[in-house]
Amino acid sequence: MSQIIRRTIFDACIFAYIIVFLLIAVQRPDSDHLIEQMSGYLLIISALGIIGALLSLFLRAKSVTTLGDIIYMPAYLRPSIPGPLPLYRTFWGVELLMTLVATFVLGWFITDINPLRLLEADAISSALRLFGEVASPDWSILPKATIKIIESIFIAFMATALSTPIAFVLSFLSARNIMGKTWLGTVICACLRIGFNLSRSIEPILWAIIFSVWVSFGPFAGMLALMVHSIASLAKQYSEIVEGVSDGPIEGIEATGAGAIQVVWFAVVPQVVLPYISYTIYRWDTNLRMATILGFVGGGGIGTLLMEYQGQSRWPQVGTIIVVMAFVVWLMDAFSSHVRSAVK
Amino acid sequence: MSKPILSIKNLKKTYPNGVRALKGVSFDVRRGEFLVIIGLSGSGKSTLLRCLNRLHTPSSGEIIFHPQASTRDSAVLESATDIATVEGEKILDIRRRIGMIFQHFNLIERHSVIDNVLHGALGRTPTWRSILGLYSHAERAKAMGFLELVGIGDKAYYRAAQLSGGQQQRVAIARALMQSPELLLADEPVASLDPATCHVVMDYLRKVNRELGLTIICNLHFLSLVRQYADRVIALKGGELVYDGDPQQIDDAWFSRIYGETAKEVHVN
Ligand SMILES: Nc1ncnc2c1ncn2[C@@H]1O[C@H](COP(=O)(O)OP(=O)(O)O)[C@@H](O)[C@H]1O
Ligand SMILES: [Mg+2]
Repeated sequence: MSQIIRRTIFDACIFAYIIVFLLIAVQRPDSDHLIEQMSGYLLIISALGIIGALLSLFLRAKSVTTLGDIIYMPAYLRPSIPGPLPLYRTFWGVELLMTLVATFVLGWFITDINPLRLLEADAISSALRLFGEVASPDWSILPKATIKIIESIFIAFMATALSTPIAFVLSFLSARNIMGKTWLGTVICACLRIGFNLSRSIEPILWAIIFSVWVSFGPFAGMLALMVHSIASLAKQYSEIVEGVSDGPIEGIEATGAGAIQVVWFAVVPQVVLPYISYTIYRWDTNLRMATILGFVGGGGIGTLLMEYQGQSRWPQVGTIIVVMAFVVWLMDAFSSHVRSAVK
Repeated sequence: MSKPILSIKNLKKTYPNGVRALKGVSFDVRRGEFLVIIGLSGSGKSTLLRCLNRLHTPSSGEIIFHPQASTRDSAVLESATDIATVEGEKILDIRRRIGMIFQHFNLIERHSVIDNVLHGALGRTPTWRSILGLYSHAERAKAMGFLELVGIGDKAYYRAAQLSGGQQQRVAIARALMQSPELLLADEPVASLDPATCHVVMDYLRKVNRELGLTIICNLHFLSLVRQYADRVIALKGGELVYDGDPQQIDDAWFSRIYGETAKEVHVN
């Protein structure tokens, strides 16, 4: 039943989307006009949605397979893809192609794509001048840049180091196979997961803005921003590892009469340490990349310096910083993939 | 005659998905016997064992346990207890008194053999001590003793994963013995071993049964092993008890009743 509702809503949305796209393509309204006429458009979209839903139900009665059917049908019922007919001769295939084409065309206009602008003469010459200056770095600021990149490395390190133990504990509390056995556990588990997803959907750069107001500009703000983001990301990744552990050892330890914490420590933890280490190193690596730009919003580290020079259009100095950043990020990347392959 | 160690009455287990794995099973387990449970795959053997040590919770019925009060220091259980209905901390106490070994050994493969044996002491060790690895000398000596008993004292500091299947199952026996149990459950302990190793493991089970006086309940697949090792056998079919008696008296007629008309007996030597 819910499958029918879902596919109908899906098809209705696709129908409304394509028709609205055609309307916009014909009328070519600008955004001011769109904003003024918003309520009118919403009305049209709702009406189209209803028509789409009816159409979709009609197609269902005619047993035509729509894109909504394909997406929401259980996997074992799904026809083989590619099937006996070519895509453009099935209804759902045409529906899919139209949606993709409409999205691409719409995207082209919304992002204001204009390849000719890349080739305008004075644009090219100023770009070349900029490249020239960036490509002849001013090495006299190397010591300054080094000190700042070290700051970034430690911002990333401390954020990782402080978030790891917290995420470690939270990962067990948010793993369904550990917590799902009791009613209370299931509730805790679900709340934690919602919390992680919310905090992960806020990018570290936004956290940095918040913390730079809270604890004022500087590395501490950047560290806190990365830490909040890392706790949620690591806890989620860790808990997926926990959910993948094998049950045998858990049963083996449970049968000895061990308590719940002992079961986690002796049966689950040994199965997850290596992947945990691997994810943690990778997180440090990612945090370092983010730490290099957090300076733009007051999060300390080398980004602060980069923003300063870029604001003054001092391109040779910007060039030095780019080289230093690229080198350190490359080094960290090599280190992290080396460690990760060692702990496999 | 002494009281049976377990009296199981009308035990039923229905899984949350509606499968009725046990449909009212009753039997007694005599202290010190080597009891074997046979039956087709899916007949409910594993479910039965897991109800006995409360890895699973039975849906209804009784499992009356008569512990040997004198051998136990813990005061939680003194007299007869119904395992089927105990709750909370008492479930852990029941599990401590009942050792279990499994088809796939269920050791912690990354830990050393001796640490795996020490896991048998987790139930009587405070959590913080066990996490810090602070087992007393007496416990360590005891663990070493059990490893010697199953003939792998020399492997104590290997990782469990480095041992062969038969050796891992012997570690699992030592881990169970470390609990000082009164009863040992074995869920198809030799089903993933080759025939030669299979006898080694069964011989050690017989040894702990005879020498330490441990009561054993063991699920087995091969009737030839049953005749060789069992004092008594019960058979399950579709969650019901269909045979209870002497292993030597399972003739062809009984065999096809338990395993189905078309089944043929295979021998493991
Ligand atoms: N955790 C479970 N959830 C649902 N059904 C189960 C579960 N474990 C076993 N069963 C079912 O219960 C029946 C008995 O299984 P089991 O006790 O494992 O039999 P055996 O050990 O004799 O092969 C089977 O039909 C099996 O599919
Ligand atoms: Mg089984």
